[in-house]
Amino acid sequence: MTTVAVLAALLAGAYAVAVLEAWARTGRMRPGGPLFAAAALIGRESFVPRKPDRLFFEAAPVLLLVAAVLAAAVLPWAPGLVIVDLATGALFVNAAFAYVLVALIMAGWGPDGAYAMVGGWRFLGQLIGYSMLIVMPITAVAMRAESLVTTVIVDSQAGVWNIVYQPLGFVLFFIAAMALAFLPPFDLPTAPGELAGGVEAEYAGRRLAVLRLARALLVVAVALATTVFYLGGWRGPWLPPWAWTGLKTLAVAAAMFALGGRLPRVREAHFLAWCWKLGIPLALLNIFVVGLLVLAVP
Amino acid sequence: MSTLAQYALLLGLAVGSAGAALALYGLARAVGRERREPGKDVPATAGRLSPKPVWVRYHARYYGYALLFLAFDMEMAFMYPWAVVYRHEGLVALLDMGVFLAILFLGLLYGWSRGALRRQ
Amino acid sequence: MIHGARRGAWSGLRRLTARAQAQMLAAIVVPGPEVAAALGLDLAGAGLLPAASPRHASVLVVAGALPAQLREAAAVLYAQMMRPRAVMALGAGTLAPLPGADVVAELSQPALLDAVRRLRRAIAGGAFRRDAAGFDAPVLRSRTEYVCPMHPEVVRDEPGSCPKCGMTLVPREAQDEGGHAPDAVDASTGMEMEAGRGGGESAYTCPMHPEVVRDEPGSCPKCGMTLVPREAQDEGGHAPDAVDASTGMEMEAGRGGGESAYTCPMHPEVVRDEPGSCPKCGMTLVPRAAAAKDAPEAGHAADAASEAAGGRHAPMDPSGAEHSAAAHTGMDHGAMDHVAGHSTFMSMVAVTRDLPRSPDGLPMDWIEVPFGPLFPGLPGGLSLVLTLDGDTVAGAAAQAPVAAAAAAVADAGGRGLPAAEFARRLGAMDPLAPVAYRLLARRALECAAGVEPDSRGARARAGAAERERLASHLAWLAVFLGRLGLEVHARRSWGLAASMRGADAARIAGLAAAVRVLVRGVRRTPLLETRLAGIGRLAADGRLRGPVARAAGVAADGRVGDPVYGALGFEPVTRPDGDARARLAVRLDEIEQSLRLVRAAGVLDDSGVPGIGAASGTGEALVETPRGGARLAVSVERGRVTAARLDTPSTVLLERIGSLVAQCELGDALTAVASLDLSPWEVVA
Repeated sequence: MTTVAVLAALLAGAYAVAVLEAWARTGRMRPGGPLFAAAALIGRESFVPRKPDRLFFEAAPVLLLVAAVLAAAVLPWAPGLVIVDLATGALFVNAAFAYVLVALIMAGWGPDGAYAMVGGWRFLGQLIGYSMLIVMPITAVAMRAESLVTTVIVDSQAGVWNIVYQPLGFVLFFIAAMALAFLPPFDLPTAPGELAGGVEAEYAGRRLAVLRLARALLVVAVALATTVFYLGGWRGPWLPPWAWTGLKTLAVAAAMFALGGRLPRVREAHFLAWCWKLGIPLALLNIFVVGLLVLAVP
Repeated sequence: MSTLAQYALLLGLAVGSAGAALALYGLARAVGRERREPGKDVPATAGRLSPKPVWVRYHARYYGYALLFLAFDMEMAFMYPWAVVYRHEGLVALLDMGVFLAILFLGLLYGWSRGALRRQ
Repeated sequence: MIHGARRGAWSGLRRLTARAQAQMLAAIVVPGPEVAAALGLDLAGAGLLPAASPRHASVLVVAGALPAQLREAAAVLYAQMMRPRAVMALGAGTLAPLPGADVVAELSQPALLDAVRRLRRAIAGGAFRRDAAGFDAPVLRSRTEYVCPMHPEVVRDEPGSCPKCGMTLVPREAQDEGGHAPDAVDASTGMEMEAGRGGGESAYTCPMHPEVVRDEPGSCPKCGMTLVPREAQDEGGHAPDAVDASTGMEMEAGRGGGESAYTCPMHPEVVRDEPGSCPKCGMTLVPRAAAAKDAPEAGHAADAASEAAGGRHAPMDPSGAEHSAAAHTGMDHGAMDHVAGHSTFMSMVAVTRDLPRSPDGLPMDWIEVPFGPLFPGLPGGLSLVLTLDGDTVAGAAAQAPVAAAAAAVADAGGRGLPAAEFARRLGAMDPLAPVAYRLLARRALECAAGVEPDSRGARARAGAAERERLASHLAWLAVFLGRLGLEVHARRSWGLAASMRGADAARIAGLAAAVRVLVRGVRRTPLLETRLAGIGRLAADGRLRGPVARAAGVAADGRVGDPVYGALGFEPVTRPDGDARARLAVRLDEIEQSLRLVRAAGVLDDSGVPGIGAASGTGEALVETPRGGARLAVSVERGRVTAARLDTPSTVLLERIGSLVAQCELGDALTAVASLDLSPWEVVA
């Protein structure tokens, strides 16, 4: 029962995220947009390019969907409202998000097309940049909570949310989360103006529908992770807990989209340099500072 | 829920998601089948047919970063359990891990000084 | 009814999807959104979303008449769109080889809105049809030819057997002709890999399939890999020159006699009597001499090498397309003896010996990727083929298939063109700057005829030229910002660019505030400076003109000596750096400057034909088009133009593309090319 409720919440979140993304991209708010888009995509042809790597081409959208769903499955919406309250929840989130890379590399290699392949390999470069910036802040969060269980992590923010306790970690995690979900300005794999669609270019029709759904769910998962780790999860006055989670998740997603349209796309070399020369030292500093704080503050 | 049951549920969720995607495919198949036409299955390249394969050895330029990434990824595997028992262990834990991180950080600085952290 | 309907009878589900598709129209614009904006169309305002890839698009919008090469490219794009697909023609003439237009309208924004309405109805009602016809065109056909793997000179059009050795001919796709365009303007650095080689007895072989031997470079017919050279061996000998001493493997290449056995390169214990696939890994079996003494050696050496290489990785893809490092270690070829007696062992060092090296010393495979003529971030009509080494550009070949032939503008059979007709044709040459070229023609004719221009008309024409400069820079800004991912500003810029066409001074004054807000917003965009710094640096030299030259510090502007502009208070804008950031800054400054000039001019009027009567003479004129100074020299005889010579800024820029993008990362290379604001239409062939 909780599984069905959480899945329904995820789908509703994905719908809202799709509306938000269309609003950020075209400036118009169409509440029925995702339904129309889904119905339109189902009705279009979906072709397999000539001489593809068939396994990779078919598996990529499905794998992206599975990765997003699994990552969201261990994140709680309310006390007790989580599909699987895993003992190693925070670690599992990270592991599930790692499959986003596999899916995109498959999507890049599969069609045997130039734009897709360049897009796929560029995402690997992006991953080498953002991956440490996901893991290290999560470690600092786990230090405060003394546990990897996501519900315990939310409970540990009873007094002060993590965004106040470890703001440096929040900033790094937020940026890395945008890079993980390949949102603009980190949309190197699907750059519309640079690679004519990149890894998405050869997908059409129903496969594109699954890919877009997976992408929306991924954004929800990433925003939900930010909420759970840094924004106190379901904590808040008056409203029921799941409403707070939903509101915070949508706020994080909206902030991500708002940033996206106003910043130019990163250059891969710059992104990697900033992540490794500035980001990782800051993340290590964050761990150190949180270590001292955890010991000092009872 | 026992751990085994939890993982079974996660596996079921994965299979279910794949099944949902396949159900969508089936629905689209009910609408119609694809039509083979010349030129349609060649990957789109901006107005020019380019049927040549591109599965070549790709020259990635970030291999300097990738090597350091391996080292740090292994380190993070150690840090997860350490983070869980950290408060219980106290200052000693901070110093232990601090030494470990400092050594790795020195490695990062060394790589930086030798030019590994750039587009090759 | 649309031509590109899917086959099927109407049903509830299909009707539903058809109606949904009618609401979500994604469009690809041919020749390009900047041309559409120059013609006054605002596509986003009409409800047509831009599509990144033809697979995501449902309608192909043709704006204006297209030359033949672009129509072929549009036909390729159309063929790659998924059904149901439609064609909307706005002011376009013939569309062959595209199928007929599904919705036709004229070139104006109200006509576009109406056309979109009609298109939605057509799609909602006609997305599925029982008798939908297929689409075919000669440009879509890639030939399949059949070659003998042993004798590459044997090429047939149907499958069969080689007359020399009896082997079955292997199919392969003929190379796309456009890949090596004969009159490519610039093919820079790394292309020597093919030119410098060859001659003499060099043979080219595929590292994966050593039985494939050719005399010149190309692609392996089995797996598509680039062939690498190695020394040809004399028949019957075996000279394993390419032995890598470190692995210590030397395999004899004995001449096969007697029975031919087929073995798997990965599993030498698998031996069959006829060609097929290895049951263990699926690789194609290759022939080898079944000499008894070779077998244990081959097996032993292969095992030794397999330990050395760390064991087997994933089984090879039977199509030979997987080129992992394990594939190139010597052991794979160790068991294969080539019947023609060539050495079969090739270590990694040998395989990559003659490949061109990248600046970091690694020899990797290069691919040729076309980025045009209809690429969404580049000027439409610019055909760019980049040789990519990973994501770095190793070589570029740029062409403008829509280039203006200078002669076509002038003479129509010896007697020359009437002056008015000449001016009209020159204006029609470049859809992005018609006003500037009409002005150029008028000035040259007036100079040739010795006619004095009237100052009021000249002022109005200058104002119209500035309006065009505004529109052109705003459209360029929209494309450029869209390329960089700044969607918000790009959208606003498109709207402003499209509303500039035909606007009078009052309307422009009303839009001026929005334009200034946009310019300020772009200037203040965080990280834009670092994003663009250092990209596409072009040093100033005598031949560069226009904003590109002004961004490099050269204060060359055709408007400087002009008394009309002097009266309007004009000063050229320059920046010192010469990179993409400077070009953006120069164009933003020129946008603001043009707003001021338009307000000072007051009246914007471009109409009127140059009246030179029946005068004769030669004349020359220079006009600052939005892309730089264009020069025209005409000879007139009795009111008819008999000779004309045109020199445009984009011709020079096209030649510079090769050196501009050498060794750049792909995104930076495309940004550099986009920052040039090249108009392929005005390139003089």
